[in-house]
Amino acid sequence: MAAPTETHYGVLGIGPRATPEQVERAYRHAAGLYDEDSLATYSLLDVEERQQARERVEAAYTVLRDASRRHEYDVSLGVVSASSVPTFTPAAAPAPGPERAPMVVLPDPVTGPDLKRFRESRGISLRDIATASKVGIRYLEYIEAERREVLPAPVYLRGFVQEYARAVGLDPRPTAESYVARVASMR
Amino acid sequence: MSGALALALPRPVRRQIWSIGGGKGGIGKSLLAASLGWQLARLGKRVVLVDADLGGANLHTCLGLPGPSRGLGDFILRRVERIEDVVVDTPFPRLRLISGASDVLGAANINYQQKVRVLNKLRSLDVDIVLIDLGAGTSHNIIDFFLISDVSLLAVVPEPTSIENGYRFIKSALYRRLRNAAPNPAVREIIDSALDAKNAQGIRTPLDLLAAVEREDATAVARLRRELGEFHPRFVVNQVRSPADIAVGHQLVTACARHLGLRASYAGYVHYDDVVWRAVRQRRLFVEKDPDSAPSQEVRQIARGLVEGETMSLAW
Repeated sequence: MAAPTETHYGVLGIGPRATPEQVERAYRHAAGLYDEDSLATYSLLDVEERQQARERVEAAYTVLRDASRRHEYDVSLGVVSASSVPTFTPAAAPAPGPERAPMVVLPDPVTGPDLKRFRESRGISLRDIATASKVGIRYLEYIEAERREVLPAPVYLRGFVQEYARAVGLDPRPTAESYVARVASMR
Repeated sequence: MSGALALALPRPVRRQIWSIGGGKGGIGKSLLAASLGWQLARLGKRVVLVDADLGGANLHTCLGLPGPSRGLGDFILRRVERIEDVVVDTPFPRLRLISGASDVLGAANINYQQKVRVLNKLRSLDVDIVLIDLGAGTSHNIIDFFLISDVSLLAVVPEPTSIENGYRFIKSALYRRLRNAAPNPAVREIIDSALDAKNAQGIRTPLDLLAAVEREDATAVARLRRELGEFHPRFVVNQVRSPADIAVGHQLVTACARHLGLRASYAGYVHYDDVVWRAVRQRRLFVEKDPDSAPSQEVRQIARGLVEGETMSLAW
């Protein structure tokens, strides 16, 4: 079992610089891991152990999802000073380093189904991408389905695909270039 | 030595042994092995598939071949002297097969010397990858092939029985590895007792086991920790039907790290799809029959990822 002294960040498997989106994804992963119906832990942990694990995950999430409570917690850990601003600002504090997976470059040509498979393999929903990128979920669906008749002009499409790629951990530029070139060749 | 001369010399090529185990039968292991071998061959690798499901061999059928007249059992029983003599061609370039020779009675129980001879000869084959399809269960024969592999794949399907057997397989393999590395009888005894789920010391996980060993022999535990650190099973989740099924692979990796203390990884997943079933009925390989289908592309991704050393990881 996880050590009782583990930090909230450790419980969710993230670092103290994780963005709110990363906290959300890590929480969903951990909550699924210890869910009553979880395939991955039902034969590994007994009912009581899973209940305890769930409680630790919920306790961690309750603190880390709330900017002000997270700030207090970070101060108690010595991660930030008490005088710092109690909000997470991605532009001021990006989350590089070990908690971000390295950018991946898919083989050329990148297709819509390739993107979908990669996204699903990382447990990311289209809603996650839409929230992070501000690209409408409808356009994200069109990109994955390669609905070229309703996709926007290449200049906008390139930007949309770059945002998609960034959100799922793909290298934005080569991904967008390959995808847009492929769609153009289909027109 | 000049740079030009160094370039002219042939590079030593490391022959790799890969294996696919899973503990449970009927989860599509042989089809995965055959299709993975096919995709590796398509990537330019020279591959020999080995059907080590002795007593239940059918890898030849997955490849659309009739039962070969000679197989691994003939080599084990010394009916042929050279392992090359039991390697048969398949219709696919760069992909060859050593059949499980299900006609050889008793081959399912090979002894230690026979096993060492097989492993040594497999390593001597002039190929890039030897891919072994292991049978169901956790017998020493199966576990030993799994442990000597450079890439040890563990196939599961997203069902409770398969996952439970998968964990059992991992524990059996790991404990055998630790036992082989145990420096003295006292530590071996602790490891043997851990294999009994109702052991008196309350050992349930490898982490519990290391703690018990440390109490008995503090110097031995460092060696066992090294062995634990080098044990690296890779999950393949077969027959997925939903994003939640795909996520099971990530959850298994996290569960192994947090609750068993071992470093597993997620090699990939393959969707449940009727194209696989239709191809099996026609005794054809789905990756060859329907190369653009989702399962075919997913096996290709697994093959490419394993060759290039990439694994699926969560995006944080």
